[in-house]
Amino acid sequence: MKSIIEIQNLVKKFRHTTAVDGLNLKVPEGGVVAFLGPNGAGKTTTIKCVLNMVRPDGGEIRVFDKDSRDLGPEEFRQIGYVSENQEMPLWMTVRQFFDYCRRMYPQWDVAFEAKLAKEFDLPPDTKLKALSRGMRMKAALLSSLAYKPRLVILDEPFSGLDPLVRDEFIRGLLELTEEEGWSVFISSHDIEEVERLADRVVIINRGQLQLDEAFETLQSRFRSIELSLPEEIRLRTALPPSWLNVEVAGRIVRFTDSAYSSETLEAAIKNSFPQALQSSVQPMSLREIFIALARTYRLNNSSK
Amino acid sequence: MLPFTIHLQDGLPVSDQMIHAIRKAMMTRQMTPGDEFPSVRVLSQELRISPTTAHKVVAVLKDAGYLTSRPGIGMVVTAPERPSREQRLECLRPLCRQLAREAQEMDLALEDVVEAIKRGFKEAALT
Repeated sequence: MKSIIEIQNLVKKFRHTTAVDGLNLKVPEGGVVAFLGPNGAGKTTTIKCVLNMVRPDGGEIRVFDKDSRDLGPEEFRQIGYVSENQEMPLWMTVRQFFDYCRRMYPQWDVAFEAKLAKEFDLPPDTKLKALSRGMRMKAALLSSLAYKPRLVILDEPFSGLDPLVRDEFIRGLLELTEEEGWSVFISSHDIEEVERLADRVVIINRGQLQLDEAFETLQSRFRSIELSLPEEIRLRTALPPSWLNVEVAGRIVRFTDSAYSSETLEAAIKNSFPQALQSSVQPMSLREIFIALARTYRLNNSSK
Repeated sequence: MLPFTIHLQDGLPVSDQMIHAIRKAMMTRQMTPGDEFPSVRVLSQELRISPTTAHKVVAVLKDAGYLTSRPGIGMVVTAPERPSREQRLECLRPLCRQLAREAQEMDLALEDVVEAIKRGFKEAALT
């Protein structure tokens, strides 16, 4: 599949800290990619490098198959960008702000602007500085969608938004659904916000790629397993490596199977816990998968 | 709003849940043949799901005979052949498995559960 963003061995340091540490990532064209990781994982720095707002110390980024350091007005007219700490001309009214943005984009769609403004319930004559945070974020989103960009990049767009505004924000974003080849790259530290939206999930930690996978396959290979045993046991050490976070509590063994297959699980359980009486197999939400993975990364890191 | 009942659960593929919901909506007559079906954009917005998933759902429903495209209107609901008894029973399988598991955990015999199901049928007929 064609990539809309291609990151190769990206490195970015700030004084004593390495924010991005050899990141490799391809964002396919079309669909929604969730870019996840804990606070400080390097998400914002990566996005700023992609948008040529920060100069990388190493590696290469291509956006629309062009070196990110050569991005110019023509490319930026095809990119919509909204960030948590969006800088906006706060002295302008909502109407003035849209008038101002409209001039920069020849393809600006006035009817679409009006539609979104109505859905977002934005007061045209109020100054941006007088708006609530949620209202201001909606104004920022509108100004980044009204020209129907090919690529929308959102950096922690939901943080600090109340649930209603968050919901309006997502609906507004999905207004663009019928545009062909439309791609969204959305960073968040809170999984639940993007659970159903994401076609692909990318997780980074400490500036490095931890996971890059289609949501569908991720969902099908992860299961939460619980076994009941006739008596308390002590864990043997050699369990399948795909079993994560194995825990024992009394007569119960719990773990996350990260390579689930209904055909092989039963045999694997018989092999490791021949005495198991009952087993329960539950699908997992993205949040649960993320937590299981995050715990595993932490264990791996501390044992290094 | 969507013209059928659906409550998405996390952890299960959205497309499976949608297909299940639409089958049910057809059986309970929430939707009948000829009804307009929401566009991909509306599905995606109402359910807050990715457009790609919404596209896939529509394609699967078309394949299964629940939807046909009508030029100028969009998607309309069509009635597939009434599913065979086996297929309808198949829809109940996950529920049955769960019921059986819970009954076993509570140490209930099959006869007790069958009694309970019979009672359930009577109660369903009343409401």
